[in-house]
Amino acid sequence: MPIVVRIDVELAKRKMSVGEFAERVGLTPANVAVLKNGRAKAVRFSTLEAMCRVLNCQPGDLLEWVEE
Amino acid sequence: MFTAQRAVAPLKAFLVLLFGILVLFQVMSLPGQFAHMARENPDMAYLRWPATAVTVFWVLCVQVVIVCTWKLLTLVKNDRIFSEASLAWVDAIVWAIAAAWLVLVAVFLYVGFHADDPGLPILLFLLVTGVTVLGLLMVVMRELLRQATTLRTDMEAVI
Repeated sequence: MPIVVRIDVELAKRKMSVGEFAERVGLTPANVAVLKNGRAKAVRFSTLEAMCRVLNCQPGDLLEWVEE
Repeated sequence: MFTAQRAVAPLKAFLVLLFGILVLFQVMSLPGQFAHMARENPDMAYLRWPATAVTVFWVLCVQVVIVCTWKLLTLVKNDRIFSEASLAWVDAIVWAIAAAWLVLVAVFLYVGFHADDPGLPILLFLLVTGVTVLGLLMVVMRELLRQATTLRTDMEAVI
């Protein structure tokens, strides 16, 4: 899937740990790992919204399309 | 889903009851009935063992369906009905109905060519039609289950 979820960049900018991020968004750490390593097949808008709220960013900051 | 969960326990109880009654029929009622009929009509006595075997086989098919239904109900209770595991049991039900249908059609043809009054052939024709409808319905239900399983699997991949 050529869509990459760039959580690690946003987390590094805010110096937030994966565990804290998972808890504040309401995801399991396992699902955060799935998002990070690009194995996610689909993301709910509600999850995307929660991630944007926690990181105070736009969906475009998190999602990136890369050529395969 | 909640309504279905509550219906599972009584349904299972009745399935056990039905299975018990069928076992009674299989081991006592049916063989005794055909032995009695063979004594009453000695010229038809050669049909005793084939008729016993065929009817016991039909009851066996129904028992297979009951066991599979039991297994599927357990999956419903554990909320695992929309998984690969349930397809195997639905397949077993379809095969049991198909086997019973084949034997039923054979009996219908045999009786149809040998009968001298139309009563039994008409009754068997009704049964053949009923079992055909039931079998095809199960094939459709199987496909619906497969579609729902695919949907559930897709939905579970959504984060």
